[in-house]
Amino acid sequence: MNSAIELTNVGWRAGKSFELKDVSLKVPMGSIYGFLGPNGSGKTTTIRMFMGMLKPDCGHISILGASVPKDMKSILARIGYVPERPHVYPALSVGEQVKVHASFYRLWDQGWCNELMDRLNLDATQRISRMSKGETGKLLLLLALSQRPDLLVLDEPTDGLDPVVRRDVLSAVLDYVSETSATVFISSHLVHELERICDWVGVMDDGRLVAEMPMQHFKNGIKRLRVANAPDTVDQAPFTLLGRHRDNGVGSLETWVVRDWEAPMRHYFDHVGATVRDVIDLDLEEGFVELLRSSRPQHKKGS
Amino acid sequence: MRAGGPSDLEPAELIMFSDIDPRSPTPLYEQIAARVRLAIAAGDLGCEDSLPSVRALARDLRVNPATVVQAYRDLAADGFVEIRHGQGTFVQEVSAFLRDEERASRAQQMVRRLLEDGARLGIGVEELSRAFSAEAGAKISE
Repeated sequence: MNSAIELTNVGWRAGKSFELKDVSLKVPMGSIYGFLGPNGSGKTTTIRMFMGMLKPDCGHISILGASVPKDMKSILARIGYVPERPHVYPALSVGEQVKVHASFYRLWDQGWCNELMDRLNLDATQRISRMSKGETGKLLLLLALSQRPDLLVLDEPTDGLDPVVRRDVLSAVLDYVSETSATVFISSHLVHELERICDWVGVMDDGRLVAEMPMQHFKNGIKRLRVANAPDTVDQAPFTLLGRHRDNGVGSLETWVVRDWEAPMRHYFDHVGATVRDVIDLDLEEGFVELLRSSRPQHKKGS
Repeated sequence: MRAGGPSDLEPAELIMFSDIDPRSPTPLYEQIAARVRLAIAAGDLGCEDSLPSVRALARDLRVNPATVVQAYRDLAADGFVEIRHGQGTFVQEVSAFLRDEERASRAQQMVRRLLEDGARLGIGVEELSRAFSAEAGAKISE
């Protein structure tokens, strides 16, 4: 078993409005996997699916080697989960909530919980109903980390938090990973945040997984090209063309956006009588935007 | 050790890694390794100096610990550092030859970038070298 999470052809439909379509996803053991996608693309639904909270209509799911939802109970203790919406009781104090949570987990590490509470500047006596969004976010992470999980599932853990708290949260996660080499699955629409920490990326759009690859591949493989004398049709190209448009004004130059690019592929253009004037690097956010644009052809034509 | 508190790194170490750019197409592990090699070539890091721990550097730069491990492994493979398990990563006695080589390759990179930028703007070698002499002359006479 070398995948911490594996979905195979998972489909699920909620009425007419939303559908997960044939999602196959693999999270390598020990990786930090960034799950990107716009709001409403199906990130949270996918997470609820492999967390055993929704049952897929078709397909197969396994998590830490157990089949979901059938054998979910046996591995639940090994998964730390920070859901999109807080699952804590506003009437309790931080200390009380910790006690409630701890009672469910055999591997709960109270010593470490105390240390984390200190590091994250959380006050055990404070009532949850009076805490800010940032403090609640830190509490959720504290609960997930103190159970010493092998897999950490974070659903938009930093959404709506201020930059200082965001740093604290990410640093605490990275610190835990350094020590334990746990697998982290982190969903976010804040692309920049994932850029430096993830080694794998999956991109969701409109209920489908439109890309999944190592981060380095994603960042280095998506380029913008300036092409002179571009051919009308692209046959047997070694790269994938995501989009093209003619530049305004200047002669016959076109801008292409390609995926799976490698430097020697310039030669392809010699064969078709075109020249690459420039290869422009895209950062993760630009690559992400281009990828989404190309995965939505029907929107472009305006249906 | 506090997640949100002040850094665990020495001020000099912080400066060394301050310009790590996650948006650059150069992989982060290469950037980290390059900073260390440069510090060694410049003499800022000497023999037996220790590098920050993987954990501290990952937390501080907010990068994947695996990225730091990869950078340190590459440095070790090139003979710049030695990884002593359980103790840390230490700068090796680096030969003058290796240090000069590093400086030369750095200089080459700088020139290559200059030429590329020039070519993009249509500025040729001659024009660049004239500007270079003028700037260098101005610096010396200052």
